[in-house]
Amino acid sequence: MEMLLDVATILLALALMGVSYLAYRKSHLRATLYLTLAFLLFAFKKVVEISAESRVIQYDIGFIVDTLEVLVLLLFFLALWKR
Amino acid sequence: MERRNEILNYIRNRPGVTFRELARELKLGIGDLQYHLGKLEKEGKVFSRKVGRRRYIFPAGFEEEAQRLLMAISTETRRKILLLLMEGEMNQGEIAEKLGVSQPTISYHMRELEKLGVVKARREGKSVVYSTNYDPETLVRLIKEYRPGLWERLADSLIDLLAGMGEGE
Repeated sequence: MEMLLDVATILLALALMGVSYLAYRKSHLRATLYLTLAFLLFAFKKVVEISAESRVIQYDIGFIVDTLEVLVLLLFFLALWKR
Repeated sequence: MERRNEILNYIRNRPGVTFRELARELKLGIGDLQYHLGKLEKEGKVFSRKVGRRRYIFPAGFEEEAQRLLMAISTETRRKILLLLMEGEMNQGEIAEKLGVSQPTISYHMRELEKLGVVKARREGKSVVYSTNYDPETLVRLIKEYRPGLWERLADSLIDLLAGMGEGE
């Protein structure tokens, strides 16, 4: 069940990334580009977490995940601020 | 050959015609039309652009204009604005009210439409009124045939949401 939710999270993040990118191509609003990157990083963060849980990655991912979280939030912030 | 010239003339007279409309108006079979259009494209006499779920066909030499036009009708709000302006000149407040969209969203789209040269602005007293600056028949035809997919509709909502939060870019 947990795995199913993880996969759904990744798929949703990628779908939102696609929508943001399409919006960027239509409008060239900088905010849409920041959102595209934010959703991409969010999906990547989830992939890293799943990999660590299933022991594909053996080392500590704490720093990577924390950094990605900060980056995602920073990009959301930029999307609101630098439209 | 005569058939092909007929197709070419039709496209020249109605730039932005869709494949479906062309087949219907000229009473041509899909395969037949595909064959002639393929030949015309190879000869560089026509070109096509896919936007939404429709493919629009333009005569050669129309590249820049086609780009501008398709960009202008690429979001739902812009299509609504253009159709509204065909009824007559309007200022941003009136457009926002009639469409039920926030003023910053309208402001963003008007700026983009003006940049694309599809709309022109004129100062009238304290307000600025807008009118279409392109052949209305072509605009209506392109807009009427436009069929956005689900992803496009979601992207349009996102654009309006972001543009509505402030002055946009």
